Amino acid sequence: MVTHAGVGGGTDITARMMMVQAPGVFRQEFTVVNRTAGSGAQALQYLASKPADGHTIILVTQTHLLTQLRNPNLPQFADLIPVARATADPQLVLVRRDSPFRTPADLVNAGKERSLRFGGTHVGGVDHVTIFAFGRAAGIQRPTLVPFRGGGEIVINLVGGNIDTAVVNPGEAEAQLRAGELRPLISLADTRLAAFRDVPTAKELGIDVTGYTLRGFCVLKGTPEDRVTRLERGLIEAMSGPIYKSYLENTGQAPDSVAGREAWGAQLAQFNRDGREALQALGLLRG
Amino acid sequence: MEAFLGGLAILIDPYVMLMVLLGTVLGIFVGALPGISGSTTIALLLPMTIAMGPIPAICFLGAIYCAANFGGSITAIMVNAPGDPSASATALEGYKMAEKGQAGLALGMSAISSAIGGIFSIVVLIFAAPLLARAAYSFGPPEYFALALFGLSMCAAIGGDSAVKNLIAAALGLLIATVGMDLTTGIERFAFGIYELSDGIGFVPVLIGLFAVGEMLDQAVRRLGKAEIIHLDAARVPGWAEFRKCNRSIWIGSGIGTFIGALPALGATTAALIGYNETRRWSKHKHEFGKGSIEGVAGPEAANNAAVGGSMVPTLALGIPGSATTAIILAALIVQGVRPGPHLFNEQPTLLYAVFASMLAANLFYLVMGLSMAKLFARISLIPPAILWPAVFVLSIIGAYGPNQSMGDVYVMLAAGVVGFLFRRTGFSPAPLIMGLVLGGMVEETLKQSLIIFGDDVTGFLGRPIALVLFVVTLAGLLWPAVARLLRVARARSASA
Repeated sequence: MVTHAGVGGGTDITARMMMVQAPGVFRQEFTVVNRTAGSGAQALQYLASKPADGHTIILVTQTHLLTQLRNPNLPQFADLIPVARATADPQLVLVRRDSPFRTPADLVNAGKERSLRFGGTHVGGVDHVTIFAFGRAAGIQRPTLVPFRGGGEIVINLVGGNIDTAVVNPGEAEAQLRAGELRPLISLADTRLAAFRDVPTAKELGIDVTGYTLRGFCVLKGTPEDRVTRLERGLIEAMSGPIYKSYLENTGQAPDSVAGREAWGAQLAQFNRDGREALQALGLLRG
Repeated sequence: MEAFLGGLAILIDPYVMLMVLLGTVLGIFVGALPGISGSTTIALLLPMTIAMGPIPAICFLGAIYCAANFGGSITAIMVNAPGDPSASATALEGYKMAEKGQAGLALGMSAISSAIGGIFSIVVLIFAAPLLARAAYSFGPPEYFALALFGLSMCAAIGGDSAVKNLIAAALGLLIATVGMDLTTGIERFAFGIYELSDGIGFVPVLIGLFAVGEMLDQAVRRLGKAEIIHLDAARVPGWAEFRKCNRSIWIGSGIGTFIGALPALGATTAALIGYNETRRWSKHKHEFGKGSIEGVAGPEAANNAAVGGSMVPTLALGIPGSATTAIILAALIVQGVRPGPHLFNEQPTLLYAVFASMLAANLFYLVMGLSMAKLFARISLIPPAILWPAVFVLSIIGAYGPNQSMGDVYVMLAAGVVGFLFRRTGFSPAPLIMGLVLGGMVEETLKQSLIIFGDDVTGFLGRPIALVLFVVTLAGLLWPAVARLLRVARARSASA
């Protein structure tokens, strides 16, 4: 099991939580290999260096797709077989409590007059793609990305008033949402979230965009079909156990995160398309 | 008050106490080993703590965190290999003391100042956490930029033979900090298509190389010349006189460490470096710095351990981790079903005070262990160099490889070792280089973030009072020597007239 996250990173913890029950299902030991360099590049290289026999599984995030797009000599999206989704954490468009944007319409109207300052991770990163796609779907001026090191910093700067808005996972802003310091305006999930019943989705507002933090498993193309099927079934079974379930619940991630290869593959393909367009428009794609 | 006593009461529970003790011992041990940091250990042990129940689990992990920061100073002092990045400032003076045969003094002072710093920050945490946490919100990129600039402004003064050499070393550090993906453009700089470089050059391999490997090479060359001096009072531990001397440094370090730790974007390494700067600035024995100053051990050690308590402030009060380690402790809390945030202080005060009480206990434990074992650790300096340094070299390689399991980091470490060796031969010091490396990235990043926020208008800084105050303090610090000289000249003139 190879991941691009360092020991203790969010993605690393996802892998380890899954692995608590996987050995029982597969009757085989699992180890995590952390190959952190190059935003997933090294993890992909590691995968490519191993035989396509299903014994090396890669934990893929959207970051990998963007890294692939920017590095044509790495294994590409078409070289991977999606197996199962581990987490699908929907994102919310948040503003601070005393923000002049009371409704989604306020935000969109302001965005038509000036470029809104969105907080996100680095330029050309996953958040940037989502924000870019949101801006285009909402018909607003291209948003200005203020890049930060991570979710925590984004939340602090949102509360501190340094940015207009941000696209954040509910779990990252739990404390601030509960204290009422941040208000959710728009949900980027497919359907309304149980925890945020009265927050409309972007799709309801006619903004055709979704935003999720995705993590899931893939194997190298050429892996025998029967092994992929067995992995899919086994991984889903391992992630249906109580330990993984309570991990999802406690970290505020969607309980319907775990999904099979079809849903997972479709979502990856969609992000791959969005990512390519965004990177091209932002001038970050070579060739 | 009731909740506080309830928290203290958990310390009577032998199971919890055992966990704290175990965590402290483990923390000192992994902290002392370069490359295995407290955060790695906590991440690896996280799945094991799930079955423990929230209070023992958090007490156990908290104890590791506290003790690992102290443990890092042991190897920093004894073999010039900071066991933890936050101990790099300690190595600057601590190893010089060990060379002078004062290893026991340095180790003992490290234990005392670490414990005072740690306890100070926990007391602050108990009384002022929600208040301090609010301060985190008023620190945006402009304020961090001003703070990092303040830290960098001292880099000409610390370390090597001359200010020029220090500035050259600092510039090298700044250059290294620019390697990798640039946050604000998404473009890789100086990576040359090497994936290992696209994430930037890590502190850990650079630190290990500069200090440990550089020292080993230097020793090997020196050894060709003359025999090593014999360590006379290696086993002497500090007494009342040394404590009095360091009193001021310890309080400066504790205050700075707690404040910097409480800022979510800054951690123990920055706290220790700025703590070292300020200790030197306010010391009455400036001339001892760079030659093995005991105050130079006390200040940064108090600061990096105070940063532990400080970094728990945003973690517990805002649910936003203040360091890599607290990010994992936060994950541990969440897995246990505890949701940090302002409400935690009203809803689960007993759990909170239990955490504080166990951290206090961990600080006392390692104080006792550190002092009683200082004599034992100090004997490391009696190991013949021909045996000691090859062992350190092996540890250095493992230490560089460990955190990211990357050979790229090992090569960086070896290259840094050569730089460290050349530095020693030519009168340069690693201190300004480290400051440039640690603070340089932040100066650049926060300046660019600020300019994006201000819409590329530099005058935006004028609207940020906290940043302005920091700029003024920085400027005053830079200009003060010149002003003081002018005043002296003027006074001398009026006296002679």
